[in-house]
Amino acid sequence: MTMADVIVIGGGPAGLSAATTAAAHGARVILVDEQAIPGGQLSKQIHKFFGSREHLAGTRGFAIGRRLLEDALAAGVDVRLGRAAYAAYPGTGGEFEVAVYGGDAATGGSRAARLRGRRLIVATGASENPLAFPGWTLPGVMGAGAVQTLVNVHRVRPGRRALMVGSGNVGLIVTYQLLQAGVDVAALVEAMPRIGGYLVHAGKVRRAGVPILLGQTVLEASGDGRVERAVVARLDERGQAVLGSERSFDVDTICLAVGLSPWLELLLILGVRTAYIPALGGHVPLHDRDLQTSVPGLYVAGDVAGVEEASVALEEGRLAGMAAAESLGRGDRVALARAKLEVAARLDGLRGGPFGAARREAKARQVNELSGAPPLSPAAAAGPESVPASRADGRAGIPGRPRPVAVIECYQQIPCNPCETACPRGAITIGSPITNLPKLDVDACTGCGLCLTACPGQAIFLVDRSGETATVTFPYEYLPAPEVGRRVTAVDAEGRPVGEAAVTSARMTRKTNRTWAVTVTVPHAYAGVVRGMLRPRR
Amino acid sequence: MDDEVIVCRCEEVTAGEVRAAIRAGTRTIAAIKKRTRAGMGLCGGRTCARLMARLLAEETGLPAAAVAPPRARPPVRPVPAAALAEED
Repeated sequence: MTMADVIVIGGGPAGLSAATTAAAHGARVILVDEQAIPGGQLSKQIHKFFGSREHLAGTRGFAIGRRLLEDALAAGVDVRLGRAAYAAYPGTGGEFEVAVYGGDAATGGSRAARLRGRRLIVATGASENPLAFPGWTLPGVMGAGAVQTLVNVHRVRPGRRALMVGSGNVGLIVTYQLLQAGVDVAALVEAMPRIGGYLVHAGKVRRAGVPILLGQTVLEASGDGRVERAVVARLDERGQAVLGSERSFDVDTICLAVGLSPWLELLLILGVRTAYIPALGGHVPLHDRDLQTSVPGLYVAGDVAGVEEASVALEEGRLAGMAAAESLGRGDRVALARAKLEVAARLDGLRGGPFGAARREAKARQVNELSGAPPLSPAAAAGPESVPASRADGRAGIPGRPRPVAVIECYQQIPCNPCETACPRGAITIGSPITNLPKLDVDACTGCGLCLTACPGQAIFLVDRSGETATVTFPYEYLPAPEVGRRVTAVDAEGRPVGEAAVTSARMTRKTNRTWAVTVTVPHAYAGVVRGMLRPRR
Repeated sequence: MDDEVIVCRCEEVTAGEVRAAIRAGTRTIAAIKKRTRAGMGLCGGRTCARLMARLLAEETGLPAAAVAPPRARPPVRPVPAAALAEED
């Protein structure tokens, strides 16, 4: 039987970074993942990611997955894809045994095998929450993960017209990806009175004209053998459907994006202590600052430790990898201590701002309950702050200015800073913490537009009011490719048609990574209003 | 959730059947499984366990925190029995 220093279960961002880090500190590491494609959920993600350089921000998700696999292989990790860990047991000498099933032609096909490791890092991620309503078993109702697999991995459209349920980042991102794939999205419904995800993600969907219906939910799906329509209704303050508010949408697809729960099963078999923390997805394993669970030698990282984001998963993986290596006496103690502090500080930063507050408190509770410290008071569910009423400064552009200038419409403290890194003039400052809002030094801005295509939230525009007519430049990621000279319908931030405009430039380079910077000419009065264009019908 | 809505797709168990089991005194997901077969199909309850937990909380007034996840047993992924027999 193979004996490793560290076994990592799960090849997503948490597992891959844990394996790479442990190996880099001298541990012999085996990583298993049931999928043949590395990267976990990253392999399905075609949008540019948030975060900072340490999280490969601005890179598209699937490319991050590939890069993390290369790093793991380069660090000497024994990566075994296509193998599902179906059980884990405590060994006799404090080690762990992991039962895996899978393989390939080289190993004589799929078979069961046992791996032994002195430490175990579980990075199995999370699974989607269901939503049951009459008709939810009809073909055409599917989870957001399945939609992403169909559209982004297999390039198959799930249908022609969809209804999205849930406005968290997953619902918002998958809506955008459905639109990019040429699927109409009739509406996005959200039971809560506010959008759950980032406003910049919501902004992409809104500019495309998809209505976001707050305080509403899907009541039922119906059709002859498959989904043909969905009934949506408003909810009252007790969460009950308001009689008479029903509205029917002709759709053939209903996509559910109503949250994730940590996938705990292997941890439960091993007997870890858990707590119920809604801000982290429900039942979560307790762990210490090193991500070690109540079972000595057993670590967690990523969504299984509490549902957060890929950037957090990467950092948690690093921390768990270092801690596991350190506990085996590997690596340089001083260097490890310093590196762990750096990661912990970055994790704090990622949990900053109004979006992170509830998770930061929840994490403290998760750690404290294990150490026996008294639990903190329940976190005040900090909702995303509202958009400032006055956007006048940003929206107006700079009249009379001799060149284009960046207009940054980023109003929410989210952990993201590629705009700061992209600017060659240092005109954009975010600093620390990473959740600060970007500040633009207007005088230093040359209007080069590098920040516009670097921003994963597509929240930066260029406005040039120096000429007789103004120009607005916006990011664009739909096919067919925008054509210079073409008359298009310019839209505002809500996707409402503003008027006709001519495309005067459409730039895409290797550096912009498949994002066009499209420039349209508009009357001066509209320079602060136009933020995109209608997608031509295919 | 209407009574006729299917909760467990693998075993075709409805919300009404799960509610009846709760009214008959079951107080854990494991007990509901044994009484209704919900969660005992191919997927092992990976979708319906959360729906059962919700129904249990709604019917009994238990806080969500008090409804423990179902007991996990190997294999937690579908594996052919023949492979288990040949495990090396």
